[in-house]
Amino acid sequence: MEKKFKNPQILVNLLTFQYPDGTIALKGINLNIYSGEIVGILGKNGAGKSTLIKTFNGLLKPTTGAVYIDNDDVSSVLMSKLTKKIGIVFQNPDLQLFANTVEEEIRFSLKNLDLSKIDIENKIDQTLQIYHLEHLRNRTPFTLSGGEKRRLSIASIMCREPRIIIFDEPTIGQDAEGIEFIKNLIKEKHFEGKTIIIVTHDIEFTIDTIPRTILMADGLIIADGPTEKILSQDLLLDLGSLISPQLIKLSKFLIDSGIKVPNDVYVFENMIQFLGFYFKDGMGITEGGKS
Amino acid sequence: MEAFRFIQKNTIIHKLDPRTKLLLAIIYTILGITFEDIFILLFIFISLLPFILVGQLFKKWIKSIRGMTFLFLLLIIFNTLFDSFSKSLSMIIRIMIMVSSFSLFFLTVHPDDLMLSLISLKIPYNIAFSFALSFRFVPTIAIEAQNIIDAQKSRGYEMEEGGLISQAKNLIPLLIPLIVCSMKRAFHIAESLDSRAFGSTKNRTYYYSIFYTKKDWFLTAVLIIIFIFGILVKIFPLLLPNWFYWRFPV
Repeated sequence: MEKKFKNPQILVNLLTFQYPDGTIALKGINLNIYSGEIVGILGKNGAGKSTLIKTFNGLLKPTTGAVYIDNDDVSSVLMSKLTKKIGIVFQNPDLQLFANTVEEEIRFSLKNLDLSKIDIENKIDQTLQIYHLEHLRNRTPFTLSGGEKRRLSIASIMCREPRIIIFDEPTIGQDAEGIEFIKNLIKEKHFEGKTIIIVTHDIEFTIDTIPRTILMADGLIIADGPTEKILSQDLLLDLGSLISPQLIKLSKFLIDSGIKVPNDVYVFENMIQFLGFYFKDGMGITEGGKS
Repeated sequence: MEAFRFIQKNTIIHKLDPRTKLLLAIIYTILGITFEDIFILLFIFISLLPFILVGQLFKKWIKSIRGMTFLFLLLIIFNTLFDSFSKSLSMIIRIMIMVSSFSLFFLTVHPDDLMLSLISLKIPYNIAFSFALSFRFVPTIAIEAQNIIDAQKSRGYEMEEGGLISQAKNLIPLLIPLIVCSMKRAFHIAESLDSRAFGSTKNRTYYYSIFYTKKDWFLTAVLIIIFIFGILVKIFPLLLPNWFYWRFPV
């Protein structure tokens, strides 16, 4: 609750955005995001998610309304200043890899940060180590595997130490290991106090890692609140073309079968615990069950 | 590139057979090259305007002409310095004729019809297909280029600074991803074409067909008459009144 008294780190006020071809992508967005939050932005393709995050770091200028980052109006701040604060990790690493070596790829990201040479070299060493890219240091980015490319593109944003990190569809095309890596990364960055915004379609990933969900449809925010609440409302899910997560399906099934479930079973560990207790106490589903 | 992107509209020009429009572009280009007198070129140019207006292409056309202002300025400066002002003017009108007539073609011919019209000119299917395909991917690549710019800007890339060489260097972070992505796409397309048995039969049939209507025959006839008249004028310059050959003294 103390959040309410702090100034939001990102404040979006009556934001609309129209593309030059006439498409109105955002139709009046109001949004507060506070420092240190993890926020998910969900919604159909074309709901305006990507457009919204691009207005945060100045890639797109609001048509009307305004976006404030740390109380500064985005449209009056230089983009180079904004990108120091906000890092966007785009979906497709191929869009940004161009250098001869992995090392250089990261150096490029650090070039415009007013760091001394020694600082840059140190930072590169450090980043390569954190993202397990050390052994690939002199390889060409184009010959890396998909997962390695992904790590490199994340590293090339993270080395700039942005205070707000935006992930655009981080789990697309990732294997289990890759998703686990991203989950851990988010936890880590959250622990460091960064603000994290995640645009995603991955519902299981959302309920696992993201406490606050913003649901968008047709250029508007139609819901904003705790993830498990939003994802358990069928109407909202319908509007966002989403399928409810398995944990929520399971808990609904349990409730329908007449079993009293506690409120916190939307977290995987809690569900396991609950089921464990439940079956240990010998209250298993009776009469052939609907298992 | 905007100037060459097809947009579906319902006008007489759009409904014409692509071959007629190709003939128009070719004849106008030939005429444009043939003459170098300002007034004759101006006449040829003005006779193109009705097509542009009827086809509702005026805005796009103006955009593409405006995009060439810099080229025109260069032409005026260099041609006047090394040759004459009249020459530079006729050069500009000539380029406008060519660009207008070809953008008339590309703006009003659907990429699929483009391929069919090439095939009807006896161009082999593979070549016609890749040509049409490359047009089809212009907008896709434009979108991708924008995404690349966004991605690089997000990690501190800055576009505008320095002289010509440093600017060229500055393009590397954009060009390399663009080339890599395009090549990747090309391979994907090749694979998907192969997986759909592209080129498995020699004589293929076509789902869509293009055919000449009365309007097409009429326009073709007019074009041929204009063309023949143009050639005659070139051979016998006295067919036109003298003022057609007026030049600026410089």
